[in-house]
Amino acid sequence: MNLDDLVGRRVLVVEDDPLIAATQKMVLESAGCTVLGPDSGVGAALRTIGAHRIDLALLDVNLGDEAAFPVADALAARGVPFVFLTGYGSETLPSMHRNRPCLTKPCEDDDLLAALCDALRRKPQHRVEQRS
Amino acid sequence: MPADVGLAYVVVTHLGPGHTSMLPEIIDRQTAMPVAHLRDDDEVAANRVYVLPPDTTVTTENGRLRLHRTSAAQREYNPIDIFFASLAEDRGERAVGIVLSGSGRDGTLGIKMIKEHGGLTIAQGSDGSHPRYPSMPESAIASGLVDLVVPVEHIPAKLANFARNLDDLAEILSESDRQAERVTTARLTVCQILRNETGHDFSGYKPATVLRRIHRRMEVLQLDTIESYIERLRRDRDEVVRLFQDVLIGVTRFFRDQQAFEALQRIIPRLFEGRSADEPVRVWVAGCSTGEEAYTIALLLREHMETLRVAPRVQIFATDIDESALEIARSGRYPAPLLRDLSPERLARFFIKDGESYVTTKALRELCAFSAHSIIRDPPFSRIDLISCRNLLIYLGPELQKRVLPLFHYALRPGGFLFLGTSETVSQHADLFAPVDKAQRVFQKREYARMRVPFTVPTNVPRRVSAAGGTTVAPQAGGPPLRAAVEARVLERFAPAHVLVNREGEVVHYSAGTGKYLEPAAGAPSRQIFAAARRGLRSELRSALNESVQTRQRTVRDNVVVEVDDRSQPLQLVVEPFESAGGDALFLMLFIDRGPPLSPDETAAARRSSDGNRTVEQLERELSETRDRLQSTIEAYETSLEELKSSQEEMVSMNEELQSTNEEMETSKEELQSINEELQTVNSELNLKVDALDRANNDLKNLFESTQIATVFLDNELVIRSFTPAMTAIFKLIPGDKGRPLTDIAANIDYPELRQDIQAVFDTHQPVERRCQSQDGTIHYLARLLPYRGAEGALDGVIVTFIDVTKVVRGEEFKTLAEELNHRVRNMLTVVVGLARLTLTDTPDPRAGTKIFVSRLHAMARAYNLLSKKDWGEVELHDVVDVELSPYADAERPRVMIEGPTIRLTPKAALAVNLVVHELVTNAAKYGALSQVGGDVHVAWSVTDESGSKRVVLDWRERNGAPVVAPKRKGFGTQLIEQQVGHGLGGKVDMTYAPDGFRARLDFPLGPKTVVSKARDS
Repeated sequence: MNLDDLVGRRVLVVEDDPLIAATQKMVLESAGCTVLGPDSGVGAALRTIGAHRIDLALLDVNLGDEAAFPVADALAARGVPFVFLTGYGSETLPSMHRNRPCLTKPCEDDDLLAALCDALRRKPQHRVEQRS
Repeated sequence: MPADVGLAYVVVTHLGPGHTSMLPEIIDRQTAMPVAHLRDDDEVAANRVYVLPPDTTVTTENGRLRLHRTSAAQREYNPIDIFFASLAEDRGERAVGIVLSGSGRDGTLGIKMIKEHGGLTIAQGSDGSHPRYPSMPESAIASGLVDLVVPVEHIPAKLANFARNLDDLAEILSESDRQAERVTTARLTVCQILRNETGHDFSGYKPATVLRRIHRRMEVLQLDTIESYIERLRRDRDEVVRLFQDVLIGVTRFFRDQQAFEALQRIIPRLFEGRSADEPVRVWVAGCSTGEEAYTIALLLREHMETLRVAPRVQIFATDIDESALEIARSGRYPAPLLRDLSPERLARFFIKDGESYVTTKALRELCAFSAHSIIRDPPFSRIDLISCRNLLIYLGPELQKRVLPLFHYALRPGGFLFLGTSETVSQHADLFAPVDKAQRVFQKREYARMRVPFTVPTNVPRRVSAAGGTTVAPQAGGPPLRAAVEARVLERFAPAHVLVNREGEVVHYSAGTGKYLEPAAGAPSRQIFAAARRGLRSELRSALNESVQTRQRTVRDNVVVEVDDRSQPLQLVVEPFESAGGDALFLMLFIDRGPPLSPDETAAARRSSDGNRTVEQLERELSETRDRLQSTIEAYETSLEELKSSQEEMVSMNEELQSTNEEMETSKEELQSINEELQTVNSELNLKVDALDRANNDLKNLFESTQIATVFLDNELVIRSFTPAMTAIFKLIPGDKGRPLTDIAANIDYPELRQDIQAVFDTHQPVERRCQSQDGTIHYLARLLPYRGAEGALDGVIVTFIDVTKVVRGEEFKTLAEELNHRVRNMLTVVVGLARLTLTDTPDPRAGTKIFVSRLHAMARAYNLLSKKDWGEVELHDVVDVELSPYADAERPRVMIEGPTIRLTPKAALAVNLVVHELVTNAAKYGALSQVGGDVHVAWSVTDESGSKRVVLDWRERNGAPVVAPKRKGFGTQLIEQQVGHGLGGKVDMTYAPDGFRARLDFPLGPKTVVSKARDS
């Protein structure tokens, strides 16, 4: 697997738990990414999306009292690839995000990076789908 | 039955609707000919048998059979008539109608049609093998139109003969040169015989018509040559009558003889002239047969009545001696061909089409009363306005005709009309009837003609040849004329005055010179001699006549005095029986004068002189008184006689009315019978349905009782219709609660929206589902409200079912719980992994790192412990702080102080605060206040409320600890605090390394639901 694609990418991390967010930030930065956030809630994440160019995103589905789907919608609208991370099964995803890559916590660093890499590669294909 | 006769056979039977007939199979076993149910549009082929299938009628048209479906609701009552009628029209003289055993009168009208068109008619005779149900052939025979009445086994031979002769007829009719002269001669000979015997001349009729009838008779008699038939005619007078009837055959179709009925139509207004509403117009249709003529007249009358503002009642007495024909007339049901002469407007107005038949409407039917009546035997009707007697007189013969016409004259009211058939006439009674329309045989009663009416005509009356009616006997011319003249002169001049009377005293002959004894009585002319007798003569005449009538002897009365003007004439009265040629007893009365007339004085003197005796005078006075008494008695007797006569007339008319009532009741009875039959059928159907309903009801009942699903049926007003036993667990229902509104019943269920939901079902017609619980929350139900659809699909209530879904709900809860647990475990493991990596990255020495990591894990474990105690509910901030600080709490000298209001934290916030406090405690224990004896920690918090968003400000203050040294670099512990407060709680942290002690200030928002209560101390 070639993780070079991730180098220099600006990655938004949305995760409510500070420890997990810190861990993810560490992993992504060690892979050469620039981490935006991490944001713990939908409002903060949307503000970040509005303010920055984003190449990739890692979304925790369950953000305490709220779900990350509005963030996912905003990302999809901008054509930004992203990967879900959840403690539940993937069946809790709404239908329009059912095909997104989804990792189950806890996950290995390699799996996380591979999924992000994969999402990045699928990006053009995704755009076509969205237009159609 | 031979198979090669060359005829085609159609078998029409009466079948019950829906009945599957085995008839083709049965016939097939009896004959070599192919047998099959006939199909629509079959072309009829010789030597085949066609059987009518059930629920159909058949007609024929250009040699093809037409099949008509009938439904059970609209049954055909007379399929045989319908087929015969169409067959007659289609095949003419090549048609043969055979009426076999059967009940009812079907076939009779059809036979008429076949006969009219020259076909052959046969009825099953009762010779040898009786028909099992004789009424159908008997009805046909009674119509007088059946050529052959033979037992069923002889019919094939007759048919074969018929088939052979069909070609002969064609030959005769063709009148080929060789035959022409012979046939014409024969025809004229036959016409001659008919004219001699009946007085009707048919020589002017179309030869083909007459020859056809002759041929048909020859066929019936099985004679081969026309000459042999003429021979038969000469010998057999009955055969003449039969041929005569055949030739004349006037089947009474509706409006047959269009012109005659038009003539009748012209006089109808005259029947109604000056008639008030309570004076009925009475019509007598004598010899009405199957009723066509009666209904035709009814139709014309009805049409005229509709033009009148006030129409009097109309009674049509239609009579015939043939009871079975009357039955047909009463039913008023005719095959379509019989109504062919009717205009479509009339047909539509007065007839109802029923299958291939037409039925008269009530408007016609109610005018006609059909009753059995013989114009020869039974007393006639009276006060009739119109008598229609068409084509009946010709059957009666001249003798009976002569009796019937005066009878009609009697029956008619003054000015009444008589309507006869085209070949009939009243010429022998021109004194009784005046022609109105000579060509169409409409006559009017001559008013003042008086006739003695023989109410009953003895059947042994000798035949009279003379053309003159009445009882006068034509004088026999005999002897030399001189002698006759002398005798006449003597009679006229010298014979005493005399009259000839019958036994009732009606004068049949007057001699010359009776004026002295008789004078015309006041009032209508009368032939009663007693009314005409002069004073003094009447009682003597009566007693003398009575004596002669009784004794059959001559009676003589002397010393009779008749008062002529003011004089008295003594005379001798002689009455003696006079045997007339007619056999009717007559009496001759002679008035013989005794001396000249006397004046009153002379009379008295004569009395005195002849017999001066006082005794005699006394006796005479008594006698004269007695006479007066007798006179008044006689007058009283005459009055009662008159009264009796009028009573009798009333009785006759009452009898007529009773007859018509009876007839109406008979019709009603027939109708009732058919209604009864229908009701029986309907009843048995209903019984079946009731049984089916019972079964369905039982099924439902068992279903209700066995089902575990609580169900209640409500109507539009929420009233309980029924419910299943399981429902009693939900609503406190007892069986008596049916009919009460459901909302009145106490419920074990927490379902306040029930009423709105039911309303929603009524509004939307859509089912509603809702989860609800029992009042104690232990049982969960799925309530389902369904629209109850009535028979027409209209909403007629609501069905409410409650399904116990407790297990499902529990299962769902377990599933959610398991998922949540799963999620938390995963999340926690992820946190632990992160914690391990971050801790170990920050602390390179593995032993120290492990120690810190384990200590942090324990802190987390304590927090989780707190949470699990609260079932992952909310945890108090105080407990979260206390659980980390408690190991340092010294009982003797409190080093730790915790104060602040009660705040409940969410699990997430509690975990974050716990980790922060843990780091602060760890640092304090390592470098700060808790590392020295005498150091203490003071934790205090407060809640601020800025425009609805609550925030907590927690102050951590250390005192009397080791000297404060700010760390050279920000360690992971500090990072952890900042992350937890900043990222985890969304707040901010402010850490101050003041000289008197470390200080941290946490400021973070609380959830809007967070409960804050007053301060508590530790």
